[in-house]
Amino acid sequence: MPGVSGDTSGAAGAWRALVRPVVRTLPWRAIGVAGGLGLLFAAAPRLLGEDATGRLALNALRMSALAFALGAAFLLDDPARHTTAAVPTRRAVRHTLRLAPVVPVAALGWTVALLLVPAGVRPPVGGVTLEAAAALALALAGAAFAVRRSDSTRPGQAVAGALFTTAVPASLLWPERWALFVAPDDERWAAAHDRWTVLLCAALAVWAVCGAEPVRRRIGGGLGSRS
Amino acid sequence: MTTTTTATVTPPAETAPAGPRASWAAVLALAGFEARRLLTRLPVLLAFAVYIGWTVWRTRTSYEGFPALQDADRATQTAPLLVGLAVLLSVNQAVLRARRYDTERHFAVLVLPPWRRTVAHLLSLVPAVLLVAVCVGGQFGWEALKPGALGNGSPGELLAGPLSVLLLGTLGVLLARLFASAFAAPLLLVVLLFFSLFAAMPREGDATRWLMPVVGDYSIRTLPSELLGRPAAWHALYLAGLALSVALAAVLVSGEGAGARSGSGSGMGRVLRGRFVGNRGVHAGLAGAVALTLLGAVMQTGGVPAETEKARTRYSTAPQELQKCVERDGTTYCAFPEWTSRTDDWAEVVDRVKSLAGDAVQDRSLVVRQRVEARYGLTSDAAMDPLTAPNQVSVGTMWGGNRVPEFAVAVAGVLVTGKEAVAGTLCDGRLVTVMWLALAGGSDPLSDLRDIRVDDSTSGSAVVVSQTEPLSMTAAHTELVRELLDRPREEIGAKVTAHWDELTTPEVTTDRTAQLLGLDAPEEADECQE
Repeated sequence: MPGVSGDTSGAAGAWRALVRPVVRTLPWRAIGVAGGLGLLFAAAPRLLGEDATGRLALNALRMSALAFALGAAFLLDDPARHTTAAVPTRRAVRHTLRLAPVVPVAALGWTVALLLVPAGVRPPVGGVTLEAAAALALALAGAAFAVRRSDSTRPGQAVAGALFTTAVPASLLWPERWALFVAPDDERWAAAHDRWTVLLCAALAVWAVCGAEPVRRRIGGGLGSRS
Repeated sequence: MTTTTTATVTPPAETAPAGPRASWAAVLALAGFEARRLLTRLPVLLAFAVYIGWTVWRTRTSYEGFPALQDADRATQTAPLLVGLAVLLSVNQAVLRARRYDTERHFAVLVLPPWRRTVAHLLSLVPAVLLVAVCVGGQFGWEALKPGALGNGSPGELLAGPLSVLLLGTLGVLLARLFASAFAAPLLLVVLLFFSLFAAMPREGDATRWLMPVVGDYSIRTLPSELLGRPAAWHALYLAGLALSVALAAVLVSGEGAGARSGSGSGMGRVLRGRFVGNRGVHAGLAGAVALTLLGAVMQTGGVPAETEKARTRYSTAPQELQKCVERDGTTYCAFPEWTSRTDDWAEVVDRVKSLAGDAVQDRSLVVRQRVEARYGLTSDAAMDPLTAPNQVSVGTMWGGNRVPEFAVAVAGVLVTGKEAVAGTLCDGRLVTVMWLALAGGSDPLSDLRDIRVDDSTSGSAVVVSQTEPLSMTAAHTELVRELLDRPREEIGAKVTAHWDELTTPEVTTDRTAQLLGLDAPEEADECQE
């Protein structure tokens, strides 16, 4: 049907038309600073030279992943959010468009971070990358949740704060039965990374669910109400 | 237009027409409001909940009910950092709130110049800090009220927790006044966490580690309080000075320009916005605070003082010169001055072990001597040499939990072999007697046996932990000890008393011991590990 094909070409056109302004409004500064910090953390074991141990390198990489994730928490900060709420392009599409340019940057940054760690003390690449991806996905899910549940145009700081204040106690107090933060030589490494996979999938699911614009918005409710 | 309004309505504070008193009342009112908000922010509530919950959970069973207060004060320091992180984040958000909602220019027409608003935000930290201080006091008080508590806490160590929260909070305010962007605070948190991670690597004698707010020395054994050698008071001064400096620096950088420029776009990246405050008092205060910080920072890096080193050597090599001895039921107990109240607990164990051996050992006069190896500092794990004098038993500085059966083994070892040095090298039938004497009197001998063995096993061969030289049990010894523990205590006790002389000769074999105590010869291997 001509109408349908017209619609799709229109959607593709809209996508193409949206890419440039969306890329322009991305919080590149936050992402850049956080990424730079993450790379700095990852470089620490190399700077320490002989003193670096596997444990320290793993911690440095985890901190690096946390820094990347904190940068990603600002991804959905969009001062123009309320003006674009009425456009025909769905929010899920807009969110995906915001995410798309960041993913290669994050992948590149993480690759560099991994390479910065000396090969001798580098933890298993797959496992650490999974942890980093889960952290990133949690940050994104938090941002999407905040956007869905509140009217705030800049939920980034609250999300980053929540992520950070959860990550620190979690790494200290997480119950041993469901251990997440384990060392590579630990026998629970594989089981822990199954849990990380579950976490990653759950976070991605939250991101996807929260990507939809709510049918009806409660007035003044939810997170980040005017303070 | 905004700028014009600002210039006419809020002249410099010194000449404010409203008068300083009204202005300070407004500061206090704002501080009260911000303090309430700060304490009810989700991260702060969450952090307090986790902090208090975890502290209560841990303090219930900490130190096995026998805390030394010179260790307990240090244990109050780390957990408040979590609250500090949440406070940093929340206060930073609170200072930036006006900018986030673009109400900065409304504030500009009020009587309060920006620097006084900064002061109000700084004051809003006080209730949170006081609450942490109350929690720290509560935790320490709980430890001090435990029946087994002894030793002396240090006010300097107790202050470190609340002062770190204050320091982190003031950092949050300063950060908000320096960088208007919302992502500065979370990133600062990660940087702080990262540095704490690297500074956490224990390096003895490294002066820079004292620059961190909390310096934990996780000692494996307790030292008498005068041997700690931690510059706790200077460190508290350093923290207080640093918090004050950061606070005054935050006031200093919130000049008139800081508030009035809210309209300048997203405002990110303006590194140093606003002009400096011209108040003389702030300048002088900042100079004084920096001087305090430097004083504390320099004094705390002195390392362990020479007299402490000397005292450590004295405590380690000649404890008898420092100890008070009391005699009870034929046994002499020599304890360091801070530990004299623990004599009763030791006497209970000694009496229990002696009563099992019955008449054979009633006239043996033991000396229980408390010892500590302090020469290698707080974090060392150096073992003590066993005593070579006859009838002397070492006891360490810690008590409760596994320390009790360990001490019982030491007492039984000296009763059976005569000398602690001999008991450590034991590898014959006598070990069975030693272990039975040590364990049979306890309420749950099998779990005690598991606790004192390195691999937590109750079968096979294993090394038995001790304050001095570890003992090693063969599989045959373990088998016999378990069989003995299953039998009635009185029956075995009578046999031990009857055959005491033969059971305690160095020539007795494991098979012979089994025979004397009425057991079958052990089936398992009787080979000592070397």
